[in-house]
Amino acid sequence: MTEQTPQDEPREKQKREPRDAAYWAKYAETLKVAGVAEGATNINVDGRRAVGPLQGFGKMWQKTYRVSLAGTEVTPVEVIKTWKENYQEFWPEGNRFYAPLAGIAPGEVALISGSLPGGVKLSTGVMVLYADDESFSLMTPEGHPFSGWITFSSFEEEGTTVAQVQVLIRANDPLYELGLRLGGHKMEDEMWRKTLENLAAHFDVKEPVETNVVCVDPRIQWSQYRNVWHNAGIRSAIYSFTAPLRWRRNRPER
Amino acid sequence: MEDESLHSSLHSLRGEYEGTREVYRTRRNEMPEAQVKMKVREAGEKASIIDIEGDLTAFAEAVLMDAYNQASDGRARAIILNFEDLEYMNSSGIGLLVTLLIRINREKQELLTYGLSEHYRSIFQITRLDDAIAIHDSEEEAVRAANSV
Repeated sequence: MTEQTPQDEPREKQKREPRDAAYWAKYAETLKVAGVAEGATNINVDGRRAVGPLQGFGKMWQKTYRVSLAGTEVTPVEVIKTWKENYQEFWPEGNRFYAPLAGIAPGEVALISGSLPGGVKLSTGVMVLYADDESFSLMTPEGHPFSGWITFSSFEEEGTTVAQVQVLIRANDPLYELGLRLGGHKMEDEMWRKTLENLAAHFDVKEPVETNVVCVDPRIQWSQYRNVWHNAGIRSAIYSFTAPLRWRRNRPER
Repeated sequence: MEDESLHSSLHSLRGEYEGTREVYRTRRNEMPEAQVKMKVREAGEKASIIDIEGDLTAFAEAVLMDAYNQASDGRARAIILNFEDLEYMNSSGIGLLVTLLIRINREKQELLTYGLSEHYRSIFQITRLDDAIAIHDSEEEAVRAANSV
């Protein structure tokens, strides 16, 4: 029989209350949007499951984009606070992020309006999987072009604050995989490059964005081809095409 | 070629680690909380256990991969991660587990875990890692499962 010493107490406490407990989203079977902002479309998020890189169809990629905020005194905590509060402002034009009412906090769900190659409008969303003072991660729902996580972080490296976006993703279904190969990767790279440039500009920094792309798993997960059923691009297009029908159905009787 | 790219990904963070059975790394002084210690031990004929103590974050990448290289040295067909002393994990730590899983699958090995608290089990569930990584309640159960692979 062992006797507990005072030194053991903090360790026991840590086991009861993990230091990261407040930073993670709580488990829910499906996503639920708390409130739909004006202009947002919630047709591909409510009721969908969140998916990680293991559930997708295409090759698995890890892409890292980073910019040095050299010449500023801004700390990683300040960078992430600014990023969370102004997420939409740093996105390139043509995409819209409807931040959750409670802000970027664990478990919150945001709606997104974007565009796919070919000009198809896309309505989808993301769940805030993790958020602490120096990083936050977004997880995608079924039907999103990607299955995986996007982590935004800031840290010090050799005395300079660095801002980073890292994605760990697969294309969610065969159509998205094709789209990625036909220009989607380039669009995504450009999007995160522009985001980091905008973030750096907010701190009056003009530095090049470094990109590192690694194919973590070159295999296609053919068993996931059915993910196409939830394809948010197709569903968004159908929703747009049928808008006149909804308008006629919903207009008041004379 | 593919192995090279994966290897480079898994070792993309700078750091130093010892080539011994016990691996320890502390990041620079400005982030003393980024600490992890991993021990590798054999468990039966076909399995190795990696005991993880401390924080699983992006800064644990080199330590984890070094531990994995040691663990798979020889005949190990299954790698068991012991999370009993895991103190902190962020989303980058979960990402590390995904890249480790891909590498293990490529080597035709199996990845198992035990010692996950309710909190970390819940994180495995949210991130859907539990779809691909077997979670066991105890070391005995994990070792038994690993040696029946």
